[in-house]
Order: sequence, then structure tokens, then C-alpha cells
Amino acid sequence: MLFFDLCIQGVIQGAIYALIALGLTLVYGLLRILHVAHAALFTLGGYIGVIVTNGSGSFLLALFTSMLIVAVVGMSSYTIIYKPLLNRAPLISLIASIGIFIASEELFRIFFGAYGLSYINPPLQGQIEILSGVSLSHARILVVVLAIGLLSGVGWLAINTRVGIAARATVIDPQMAASSGINVEIIRYGSFFIGSAFAGAAGVMVSLLNNLVEPTMGAVPSYKALAIIVLGGLGNVRGALVASLALGIIESFGTIYVGHLLDRDSIAFAFLIMVLMVRPQGLLARG
Amino acid sequence: MTVIRDINFGLEEGGTLALVGSNGAGKTTLLMSLAGHIIPKSGQVRLNGVDLVDKGPETRCGLGVGLVPEGRRVFPDLSVFENLVVGGYSRPSNNQSGSMARVFEVFPRLFDRKNQVAGSLSGGEQQMLAFGRAIMSNPNLLLVDELSLGLMPSVVDECYKALEKLVKKGIAVILVDQNSDAATNFCSSTLILETGDQVWLGESSALSEESTH
Ligand SMILES: Nc1ncnc2c1ncn2[C@@H]1O[C@H](COP(=O)(O)OP(=O)(O)OP(=O)(O)O)[C@@H](O)[C@H]1O
Ligand SMILES: [Mg+2]
Repeated sequence: MLFFDLCIQGVIQGAIYALIALGLTLVYGLLRILHVAHAALFTLGGYIGVIVTNGSGSFLLALFTSMLIVAVVGMSSYTIIYKPLLNRAPLISLIASIGIFIASEELFRIFFGAYGLSYINPPLQGQIEILSGVSLSHARILVVVLAIGLLSGVGWLAINTRVGIAARATVIDPQMAASSGINVEIIRYGSFFIGSAFAGAAGVMVSLLNNLVEPTMGAVPSYKALAIIVLGGLGNVRGALVASLALGIIESFGTIYVGHLLDRDSIAFAFLIMVLMVRPQGLLARG
Repeated sequence: MTVIRDINFGLEEGGTLALVGSNGAGKTTLLMSLAGHIIPKSGQVRLNGVDLVDKGPETRCGLGVGLVPEGRRVFPDLSVFENLVVGGYSRPSNNQSGSMARVFEVFPRLFDRKNQVAGSLSGGEQQMLAFGRAIMSNPNLLLVDELSLGLMPSVVDECYKALEKLVKKGIAVILVDQNSDAATNFCSSTLILETGDQVWLGESSALSEESTH
């Protein structure tokens, strides 16, 4: 059953990557900015999840609160950091974003302590046997269900609604989108809202799986998510989702089979390098 | 840097103006500043008495400015249908099917390719789609840049016929075409730009008399 276990492990990790990578891809598509500070929103989401759950006893309330607050913080990051820098070279936004990310780790340390926080009564720990010999905690199942639900919800919006089609048009050609009556700013804010909320949800789920949030929990996702959006073909949402899943599964198998040679993160980047040698444009992007 | 200066003209409902000038004269710059993509240092742009200068392109679209840009710039990854949906974004969604039916009436070829992605259309079909997208917003004024660039003569004819139908409906048109004879023949008045200056404005018919003398 090891094979099956590893697949499930990979899907769970992939689901978390996908929730994080969506926002990064949307921001890159709309603004051509690498939004490194996105990973700070993931960490913030985790903290809010633990604090609200411990305070209120309701994990569901914590999840919603976290997504909402992180979404608002994400939108403000656009107003405060990126919008004033839009007419500058993209490198300047990138440096600002990295600066914010580094500062955020210290802020988490100052406000919530260096050792992190845990759930007093970790919720959703019950196990379900999904096959004989293979059982999963409710928390793990929720990660996958949540990711599929949220991401397919966004996919449905993008395909079936006027706003969704307008958002896709805005990514392709913001000027012509504007000349068609689309308020490009609203699309940007909406994308920051959705992408940040999903990163918050991922932070809550990771805090639950590890029963821990700590100031540096965003460090690995910050560069892993960059690898994912490059893998997916920069700005390509579908590509980023495929890359997230692929990376989750490859890491999961890799740690077992080549783990004695390379650690988890090295496997991820070795995979990135190999893919880019064959397909420099990313997994799904057209040539 | 100043690219165009001292330009002054007006256009009636259903009026047509050809914008003529050599490469780099500032035709695209003028059209893009009417559409709201280039902000003039000074001056006024008024449509039906509303001052447009401080309004963004999306607001101008809602107020009746339609743009068929140089290079067509359809959304290549979106289907023909979706391109038209975007074109009609400034109007209530219950107008969508009616507006789309009118576009398909003018360009039946688009109807046949409704679900095809725009990037896979021929150049002529893309130009029709660019027109269709602009018409979806029900404009009073259509800005058309480089209508015939890279198109087969038969397609160019088709586009001019479509444009004529739109003008009959009362839409005013400002037209740029590298084939300046085609543009001046189509439009009742002509404005000539020379390195950013307006050097001539008048009836197109007067223009042809002048050049024959
Ligand atoms: N963003 C810009 N920055 C600096 N100069 C510009 C810019 N855009 C246009 N120009 C210059 O302004 C002048 C007018 O350009 P414009 O594109 O309006 O010309 P045009 O009449 O449309 O020419 P064409 O027939 O080649 O399309 C050109 O000299 C061009 O180089
Ligand atoms: Mg031009």
C-alpha cells in the first residue's frame, strides 16, 4: 500500500501548493510581478486559523475568518506596495515584495513569539479508513476537498461568467480590456482577493496538518511556489495547477526513493530544472 | 515628448473622418488619446457634450467610444463568442444576445466560428472580430486604425461594406487606413496630419479636386 499512500501524500501536498500558487499566478498574469510576499499571507492565514480556533472553538469560523482577513490584507498589499510601483521596472516591485516578506517573518516573531503556536484541541483528527489498511485524518481529506472545491469554483467563474471572461481578457491585453469597458483595477483587486484568500486557506490547512504555525513557515512555500508558476508557464493558471500536483507527487515519491541522495526541496528544484531543459516555456504554455 | 499638437475637429452623428498622414505622423497617437489610452497634456475631448479628458478608457467605452485598434488585438486565447462577451461588458448582460445577433448579422462568418479561439482566425476574420467586439458596446463613435493592414482586397471590401452599414445606423467613424485613397473615398471629411500637426481639414471631395489640379 506504499504506492497508494505516496499518491495520497502527493495529492495532499499538491493541493496545498495549488492553493498557494493560484494567487501568485494571477498576480503575475495581471501585473507581471513576482509576488514573493504572497507566502507571508499563507503564514498569516495559519496564525489566524490557530488563534481563532483556540479562541472560539470553531475551526470552520477560523477558516472563514482567516480567508477573509488574509484576502483584505492581500488587497491592501496591492494598494500599498505594488500600485505605486507599477510604472517602475518590475525588479523594483520584486525587491519590495522580498523586503515585505522578510519583514513579515520578524513581525510574526514579535507579535506571536519565536516558537510558534499550536492548537489547544486540534480539530478534525478523526480517522477514516478509505481502503483496508489505508486511513486518513479528516484534516487531510478536508485539504483535498477544500482545494478541489475552491479551485474548481474559480475555474467555473472564469469560464462561465462575464466577470470571469473579462478577467481572462484583462490578463491577455489590459488596454483592450479597458477599451471594452472593463475596469482593470476591479479585476486586479478581485484577483488579489481570491488569490490571497486561497493562500490563507492553505496556511490554515498546513497549520492543522502540522499542528504548528511558526514565523518561518512561509519560507519554503515562497520559493516553491515560484518554481511552480515557472513550471506551469508564467501566468498560466491551468499550468500552475498541473505543476502543483506534479510537484506534490514527485516530492512524495522522491523522498522515499531518492531521499537518501536529495532532500525534498532539492528534488523539487531538480524536477524544475529538468522540465525547463526540455520545455523552457513551462509545462502547459504554448511555444 | 510632444507627438501631436493643435488638433481641432468635430464630427456629427453618422459623420465620417479620414485621418491621413505618413508613417509616424501621429494617427495612432491621436486615436489612442481619443480612446483614453494616452493622456493629453492639454486640450479637450467631448462626446455628446460630455468632457472625456479626465475619463479612463473603460468609462469612455461606456459613454460610446468604440476602438478597433492597430493590429486588431483580439484576445487570442478566448473564443469568438467570449471576445464578443468582453466587447459587450459595458452594457447590461440582458443586452448581450441581442447585440451579438446584430454583430453576426453584419459578419455572418463570425457566427460560423463562434466557438473557435480568436488566435486561430485568419487576419480578415480577426479584423471582423475586432469590429464586432467594438460594436458590442453600442458605440456612437468608432475609432478604426489601419483597417486594411495585411488583409486581402476582398476582405477589405467586406470590412468597408460593414463599416458603411454602421455609419447608416448613425455611428460616427474616425478612420485610418494606410491606403489613404480608400479612407478618403469612404469618409466625407479628411484631416491630414504631418509630423503631429494638423495641416489640412475639410471635405474629402475638395481634397480630390485639389490634387487633380
Ligand atoms: N510611447 C511613445 N514614446 C515615444 N514616442 C512615441 C511613443 N508612441 C509613439 N511615439 C512616436 O510618435 C510618433 C507618432 O506615432 P504614431 O504611432 O501615432 O504614428 P502613426 O501616424 O500611427 O504611424 P503609422 O502609420 O506608422 O502607424 C512616432 O514618431 C512615434 O515614434
Ligand atoms: Mg499607426
